[in-house]
This record gives sequence, C-alpha cells and structure tokens, in this order.
Amino acid sequence: MSVLSPYRVLDLTTERGLLCGQMLADLGADVIKVEPPGGCSARSIGPFYKDTPHPDRSLYWWAYNRNKRAITLDIEEDRGRGLLRRLVERADFLIESHNPGYLSERNLGFSDLARINPALIFVSITPFGQDGPKATYADSDLIIMAAGGPLILAGDEDRPPVRLCIPQAYLHASADAAVAALVAHRERTRSGLGQHIDVAAQQSVAMATQSYILAAPLGSPEARRMSGGVKFGPLDIPLVWPAKDGYVAMTFLFGSALGIFTAKLMNFLCEQGFCDEATRAKDWIAYGEQLLSGMEPLSEFERVKEIVRKFTRSHTKAELLQLAVDRGFLITPVTTIEEVVESPQFESRGYFQDVAHPELGESFRYPGPFAKFSATPIEYRLRPPSIGEHNSEIYRDELGVSEREMAELTLTGII
Amino acid sequence: MPNDLPLKDVKICDFTWVMAGPASTRILADYGATVVRIESPTRIDAARTLQPYLDNKLGPDSSGMFANCNAGKLGISLDLRNRAARAVVHDLVRWADVVTESFSPKAMRAWGFDYESLRKVNPNLIMLSSCLMGQSGPLAKIAGFGNMAAAISGFHNLAGWPDRAPAGVFGAYTDYVAPRYTAIAILAALDHRRRTGQGQYIDQSQAECAIHFLAPAILDYTANGRVNRRVGNSDAVFAPHGVYPAAGDDQWVAIVCRSDDEWRRLCTAIENEDLSRDSRYASAARRLEHRDAIDSSIANWTRALDRGVIESRLQALGVPAHQVQNSADAYRDTQFAHRGHFVALDHPSLGKFTVEGPRARLSRTPAVVSRAAPMLGQDNQYVLESILGYDETRISELVASGALG
Repeated sequence: MSVLSPYRVLDLTTERGLLCGQMLADLGADVIKVEPPGGCSARSIGPFYKDTPHPDRSLYWWAYNRNKRAITLDIEEDRGRGLLRRLVERADFLIESHNPGYLSERNLGFSDLARINPALIFVSITPFGQDGPKATYADSDLIIMAAGGPLILAGDEDRPPVRLCIPQAYLHASADAAVAALVAHRERTRSGLGQHIDVAAQQSVAMATQSYILAAPLGSPEARRMSGGVKFGPLDIPLVWPAKDGYVAMTFLFGSALGIFTAKLMNFLCEQGFCDEATRAKDWIAYGEQLLSGMEPLSEFERVKEIVRKFTRSHTKAELLQLAVDRGFLITPVTTIEEVVESPQFESRGYFQDVAHPELGESFRYPGPFAKFSATPIEYRLRPPSIGEHNSEIYRDELGVSEREMAELTLTGII
Repeated sequence: MPNDLPLKDVKICDFTWVMAGPASTRILADYGATVVRIESPTRIDAARTLQPYLDNKLGPDSSGMFANCNAGKLGISLDLRNRAARAVVHDLVRWADVVTESFSPKAMRAWGFDYESLRKVNPNLIMLSSCLMGQSGPLAKIAGFGNMAAAISGFHNLAGWPDRAPAGVFGAYTDYVAPRYTAIAILAALDHRRRTGQGQYIDQSQAECAIHFLAPAILDYTANGRVNRRVGNSDAVFAPHGVYPAAGDDQWVAIVCRSDDEWRRLCTAIENEDLSRDSRYASAARRLEHRDAIDSSIANWTRALDRGVIESRLQALGVPAHQVQNSADAYRDTQFAHRGHFVALDHPSLGKFTVEGPRARLSRTPAVVSRAAPMLGQDNQYVLESILGYDETRISELVASGALG
C-alpha cells in the first residue's frame, strides 16, 4: 500500500503549482490533473524532447506530472463546471494556482466548493497570496525571487544580482503547499472539515535567504553578494573554491561549531607544507570574532585564504572529494548536471529511475524518490499523462457519465 | 496555545541540528506538534553560531537562524555520550510518535540510537534520518552543510555568468528545499500509521530530494543529452528578462516581459517609440537574439529612476517588475506586512526577537507562532517532570551525572 493511496486530489494548477500534486502523487495519492481542452499551459514550456515542441514532449511537463492521471475539462462552460462539481464531491484535496479571484468568479472558489464537499481541502498557490497590496502583481520566477529576498544575495559584486537559471520560485511555493495540505488533512481526520490553504510564493522563497531576511528587524548588517560566496560586514567569505579541474564547495568558517573543521583542515595543510606552524596554530574558533574586532587584520585573512586556495587549486575535484571522505573535510565538488546523473553515489543508491514512454519507444531517467520509506516505498507508477489520457476511465468508468454524454461532451469541446 | 491546532497530538523527539532538520520540525511546531529538541551541551549547534545575530552581537542565543528554525520548540540539553542520558533518550522515544535526526550516518548507531534499536523501545516508531547524501553509498560518510550538498547536486554551476566562475546559489541551498520534503514525509508516515498502526524508517538524502528542483535540467540531459549551464539572468523564452540598475548605490529592479503585448507596454512606459516600432524586436524570439541591445536600452531608462517608482509604474501597466529587495526592503514591504511575515516574539533573556511567520495560511486552523526558540537546556525541568514524569530525586541524579551538561 502506498502511503497516501486512499486519497484523491484534483490538480487544477498551471505551471505555478505542478510540484504540489506531484509530491502527493509520489506518495501514492490518486492525483487527477484537470487540464483545459488543448492541455495545460505548462505543456508549452521547454525544453522539449528532441527539441520538438509538442504537448507530450515538454520536459518541464514531464518533470512535475509523473504519477498523475489526466482529464480535460472546460471550466469556462457551465457544463464543465457541473462536471468539476461532481468530481469535487469525491475529492479529498483540490490544488489550484490561478490568479486570485479566477475560480470564485466562476463559482468554483473555496466557499462554493466547500458547500458541495465540506471536507475538501482547497489549496491555492499564487505569487503574492490571495489578497494584499501586491496580490494582483504581474509575476514570473525572477520577479518573485526579487521580491522574496534570495535574488539580491547571489551574483558577482560588479554585476547585477543573478538567479538560478532553472526557475525555482514556484517549486518552493508548491512544496510548502503540499506540506500544508497534509497538515490540514491531519486536522480533518478529527474534525471532518476541510479548509482553504493560501500559499504565497514570495514568502516561500524567503526560505532561500538562510534567515538573512531577518537582518533588518534583528539590527544586523545585510549580507551582500559576492561571486562564489558572501560578504558579511568587512569579511569576504568564499564558499566556492578553485580546483585543478573546476571548482569545489568548501565550508571554511569559524566559531565553536565550525572552527573545529577549519582547524582540522589547517593541520593537514601544515603537514602538507602549504602553511607554517604559526598559521596553523591560529585560534580558528575565535578567528571570526578576531577579524571583526580588528584584533586580526583583514590582510592576514586574505593571506590565509590564498594559502587555502593554493591547496584547493593543486588538487582535482575528485582528489578533494576523497580527502573529504577520508578526513572529514567539508568539501564537495561543484558538479555539472552530467556529473550528477552519472554519479556513483546516486547510482549505488539506485536513485535515478527509468520511466518508460512507450509511445516514444524509449525510457528516460528521472530524479528518483525524494526519500526511501521502509514500509511504503515511493513508486513511479505512471509516466506523465498525455492530454485527456484518462477521460474515459475517469468520466465514464468512475463518474458514470454515459457513452452518449461522453460523445456529446467531446463534440462540444467540454472535455 | 489553542488546543485545536492540526498537529496538537503529534509528539516529536528531535535530534536534528543546524538548518535542514530544524527548519522542517519548525513547520510542524507552528501547527501544534510538541517538538522536543535535544541539544548537546558540549558540541554546540552550529546554527547558534551563524549570522545574522540579534543586535549584531554573537551570543549563545542571538543567532537569527537558530531562532528562526527553532521557534515553538522545547529545548533539552543532553550529552548523548553520557550513560545516564541513555534512559532519558529511551523514555523520550517511548513518548514520541516521530524521531528525527540529521547527523552523518553511523552517529546514531554509535550511540545505540539507530532505528533497529529504537523500535525495540517503541515498536510503532516513525524515524526519519536526513543527511547530505543519504544513509548508504560511497559518499554516505560525508559530513557537512547544505552549500556542499547544493554543489554536488548541480545547483552551484547553474547560477552565475557564462563568462565567469560559478557565482553559486546563495548559502546552503539544499537546506531550503529539504525541510519541505522532510515535513511531508513525516506527515505522510503519520497518516499511514494512523490507518495501519505501522511505523517505519525514512532515509532522506538532502541532495536527492533537492534534485527535484532541477528536474527539467536533469531530463534535458537524460532525454536530450544536453548539459544546462549558467546563463546569467537570461531566460530561454522571455525577453527582456533581467535585473537592471536603478538610481542609487547598488539598487536594482527585475523586469520581465512574458508576451509581445507586455513588451509594447514596457516601451510605452519607457517612452521609447523607436523600440516599440523596431521590427527586430517584434517577437520574443527576435528580442532574444538582440537581448543585449534591448537590455542596454532598458538600463538607460531605469538608471535614473527610483526602483520603487519603476516597480509601481510597470506593474500599473501589467508588466512584471519588482525592486530587488534586501532584508530592510522586505521588512518594509507592504505585501510581506500584509501576510504577517515578520513575527516579533518575546525571548526570555533577549527581549523582542523577530522570526519569520508561517508560509501557508490555513483558513480555519492557522499556525500559531508564539514561543521563541529555547535557550540551551531551557526546558529540561519541564520535559523531565511534565513529559517524562520524573520525580525530583530522579532529576537530581541526572543533574549530578552530568548528562544535562
């Protein structure tokens, strides 16, 4: 049995909310993607398989619709709305990501649907939330990252702040929404009642500031962007370091928790002849405070970083990774997507999963289960659905719509 | 705390530390779960040493990150190497529905607190282990932080300029992604146990769950053989799509046109009829080809203007735009304020301590964020006496043993 197999989810999201339903689907819920005739807008988002744009070849669609079934339904039409209400009667969750007000204007808002099914958990994912001064703002991934705090923190200091080039904002929001859906579900098992969940992507991405969004209210200086690191007060703190054949991420920090690792690394560097005894013997626990108080000059920190850089630059990424494994240093390689997919670590855990696409005559490796559950392992049961693939199964077999009515609904473009 | 919160009946014995684990149990605490955070009195939680600090002063309780990730929890100090701590851990595990931990693999086993051992104490236990690379594999032993997991799962290489070294995503990126997967895994396992009575063990690799946030790029490689690289702020489809300088020092505004119509409206706003008439810029595909020229025309307009003015002027025309906000901007932001994103809590020794509010609004049973993160060992007495039912003699013996630090 899958962990959420008793539950049905109606997924009305656009590209803003697809991951929410997929998290529930991976956990075994029966997630039905409800698309307008012609397909969800996300199907037109590239890249495409073999670079051929087609609604069933969008890799963005593939990425976030595995394990879902799909039907088409025109909710702009009365009869379509009627069918949705019938589906809602038997649903446990409904997820949507339309602009605020879109569904209520069509009498399909939370209060409308709660009258049909008071146990329904209705999840809304929007850029800025259901109400407030910016609720109707035009949005995109970059806009949300700018508004929510992460964007300003990354990039080179002599150029504009820069985003991760794979859009992230709505993934953060969708994941928050999925968690909240199960929180509400736990409460429903006692009260029998559903509720409305309102997730704002702006708030969700603030998570990616590592609590630096709190700097102002706490009276702390802002963190400032620096290529491969961060500037905090007068300190330039690198997190990405050069290797012989690329880059590595290394935590080279101080204080009572992290200074221990730095001391261990500096001992090794001294043994290897990269630095002298006096440098090795610095108080790496107190080092950050010494720099901030001026007791240790910043130029000395620059000299230390140059020593460490000399060490990282004289080793390959693989050598540095092996040192991390053997000696407990805080180093990992900065990898390309190819290196990620071909990684022996993920291979040995059987992480990437082959998903067959029979109509393309091929299987493709997908990111694997997000966790290993001992009693209820996540299974990839269904490849991402094509448009209306489960219309008959769901409308006719499960909802009891007659053949004649099906034909008519198809003819009139309702489904 | 109102007793009708969704997770009022959920009890969590939380061994996690730093960010990824604690950020997940913070979500559960917001909705009423009783979370007992176990902290080592000798090996301080690294989060307690990380910035930003309250009043910019380092102190054991002044880390904004620790405060943000641990609000609403109970704190007990326990030296897991001390033999006397063992019985306390077993009693907490017996009490708990869920045990969470985020040490590097083997640490729990070394203490005898691995799942196989703990399920003997509590047969229906749900236990979740979260670490960088998972419990198995050649790199399982790697200890470290989310910036390292982000690097090894492909994130760092995808942020920055093509002609420069990777700028990297900011900080410990997988620590922002993993907590959602941790929380949902726990909630799903709780529902499964409610229905079947069966607990289970969950092995979560922070890298593996975070890779879901790169899924389109993974598939572009596995289906097309293409390796995505960093491209600055360019988008594959939209143009313009960038971050432009505004008046003032290091002030920026993000502007995006998702359609030709939005492009024409942007041209109206910047009062540049030449641009809107220029046939080279008539479609997104053509604008992508000429994106550098377009970007410099837009920058010429934005450079002299206040970023807030640009934002409101463009948004009034329906063009996606937003000033690039730092913490001070976010703290003043009308939408964050409307959502109650910043919550000032009373800290027992430090006065007002602001943390982030819940990220989801539940209409009938909203989250309650009312208790500041615990000081080290702040709730020892409460946990031992009220949760575990120890008497004064027992508690004195524990104190004398040094197990509480």
